[in-house]
Amino acid sequence: MASSKEEWERYQEALRRDDSAAAADAFRRYLAAKKAEGKGGSKPTIVRLHIGKGWHAVPVDQIPNGIEKNPEFYESIKRVTEGK
Amino acid sequence: MSTVLSLADFDLPTRSASGWLLRWILPRLNLEPATLYGLLARRLPFQMAAPQSDIIIGAGHGDIDVFTGQNEAIILEVGKYDPKEVEGKVIKLLSCQCGVELVPDLVANGAACAMGYTDDYIWVMDSDLASTPWADKEFAGKCLMPVIDGLNALLDGKSARAALDIELESYSRNAEVEEDELVKACLEFNRANAILVGNGGASIRARPQLALPFRLIPPPPLLFPIVGA
Repeated sequence: MASSKEEWERYQEALRRDDSAAAADAFRRYLAAKKAEGKGGSKPTIVRLHIGKGWHAVPVDQIPNGIEKNPEFYESIKRVTEGK
Repeated sequence: MSTVLSLADFDLPTRSASGWLLRWILPRLNLEPATLYGLLARRLPFQMAAPQSDIIIGAGHGDIDVFTGQNEAIILEVGKYDPKEVEGKVIKLLSCQCGVELVPDLVANGAACAMGYTDDYIWVMDSDLASTPWADKEFAGKCLMPVIDGLNALLDGKSARAALDIELESYSRNAEVEEDELVKACLEFNRANAILVGNGGASIRARPQLALPFRLIPPPPLLFPIVGA
């Protein structure tokens, strides 16, 4: 299994191609690699302070689903994690 | 002159953000009367308290032109507040995107300076620690402690520019040693979006340091129900 760092880079590459399906898959592999490395807290959740009906809190293990099914979440997480 | 501290607390992000301010900033204010927590984080109490303050600190949901309190009740919106509420004050809004329009508008209406973020403020928190958000050092603390560092600098009497620099350095320091790629990305994102508009040399009356008992003993757990916990 690749390291979480390698899987994260694959995830970022998928984001740069704007390939949400590949990004979701890569993020799942990233989470699996992190788990195998013994990292991660009890219930990590990504949150934001944006007003309105959009997303406010998404458990980290649900990020791949959010990337696949929620275009607003995808655009948001892409801005944060795409890297340079 | 007192501090206005507007702390929304009704869902996971507001619980986490307000929790860190409750833990580390509120005890420094010697119970200055204008702490608008939870149901008090609304427009009317803010309108009454703001003119008597020298600093306004807010944690709540926002957008480019609006900052909100409890259950997204509007507190400050471009073109819809009295300039007396912000005149001469140092303002810090921990919220999404207020830096785009609201922060410049506050300065245009007389605020000495205002600080906010030009994009979403995003971080990772441990939702199992929703009742004691200040205990979440592994995730939320990495992003929110830099905000606390900056606010503490302001409350020490340092200039707004110095306080923002301290916040930015704190993000950089945390990002440098962070092993979790997602947390690191959030740190770098929030750092890139933090802005200061207005007079960077503005400062406020220094408040006393956090008393020793408050450094050692955290507040009791927050038992108010929130959405998503």
